[in-house]
Amino acid sequence: MRASEDELKALMIKGLDGDALAHQALLGALAPLLRAFFGRRLRQTPAEVEDLMQEALIAIHTRRMSYDRGRPFTSWAYSIARYKLFDHLRRRRVDLSIEGLEELIGAPGFEAESAAAIDVESLLELLPPKQRRAIRATKLEGLSVAETARAAGMSESDVKVSVHRGLRALAQRLKDELT
Amino acid sequence: MTLSTDDLIRSLAADVPPVGASAALRRIGLGSALGALLTLIVLLLSIGLRADLGAATHGFAFWMKALYTGSLAAIAFGFTLTLSRPDAVRATRVVWLIALPVAALAVLSLLELSHTPHDQWLDLWRGRSAHVCPWLVLGLSVPIFVGLLWSFRRLAPTRLRAAGTAAGFAAGALSATVYGLHCPESTATFVLTWYTLGIALAALLGRLLGPRLLRW
Repeated sequence: MRASEDELKALMIKGLDGDALAHQALLGALAPLLRAFFGRRLRQTPAEVEDLMQEALIAIHTRRMSYDRGRPFTSWAYSIARYKLFDHLRRRRVDLSIEGLEELIGAPGFEAESAAAIDVESLLELLPPKQRRAIRATKLEGLSVAETARAAGMSESDVKVSVHRGLRALAQRLKDELT
Repeated sequence: MTLSTDDLIRSLAADVPPVGASAALRRIGLGSALGALLTLIVLLLSIGLRADLGAATHGFAFWMKALYTGSLAAIAFGFTLTLSRPDAVRATRVVWLIALPVAALAVLSLLELSHTPHDQWLDLWRGRSAHVCPWLVLGLSVPIFVGLLWSFRRLAPTRLRAAGTAAGFAAGALSATVYGLHCPESTATFVLTWYTLGIALAALLGRLLGPRLLRW
């Protein structure tokens, strides 16, 4: 049974108020979510995924004062997870290339990972609407290029070009921000 | 030999002090205040306060400078707080906010120039310390920037270049405010040029160092 945004947020706020048990329950609930988040996005051994998950958990604990109670909890937590993911890739000198980014954005997930999708949305916000819609349709909603083209009234090659340009812009933006 | 995740969680849960709603802002405040204190000490030990400080605080120019740098600092710290969160969203509104104190000072500068004979404009603009002012503001901003680096250790900036720029900008604006305790210049034209340049240099330095120093 996966914890919901409301449950996690309630635990987080209790933890911020000093309730150690609530905080412990929060971390316990986050561990499998983070394990799935990283496991689905990295071609690594379970041990390496576990290490990265623990790093993210520690960061969530240590930097909890960076959480704004008025905002959603899970997108905050997944922002930290995503940062750790990209930093991990940077340290391993993995080129934040378009192909890598495609996988990272479009990794299939359970609906509990919809919070991760909220975070991806904020990434997509950085793009012009045409590229954003093309990427959202083909990568997140799983539509084919043909279906996307039909729905948006664009040509198929236009869709492909938009996706490519959008991913390239995102990859460059992430590189700029992190390196 | 790594801890099992259960053990890790148990050990983390042993350290759960209460964290107030404005904890991030207070953390940023504390880091920059400690840095500013160091900046003040360095100033006192090196270039010293202006000899006429008491009298100056009764004059318009002193407060004009303080208000200008102070309002830039307020904007910069707001920017820094936003970027200290991992889910910070693009905030282009900041650019517009900065335009306000700059525009206000620009108006003052134009008024000043219009009331001054042309042949005195160069003196008005350069004062006696144009060649050192921006560098002193930049140099004095370093302790404050370091203070903010300390603040960030419990925060979670994910846009490192932007966060570095914000921290540099904040450090520069606060440093310029402290520098006002020494600086004898009193024209809006001087302040608009050289103080702003010093603050911009601090922001630029923050931008360059951000990705390296803010990593976690």
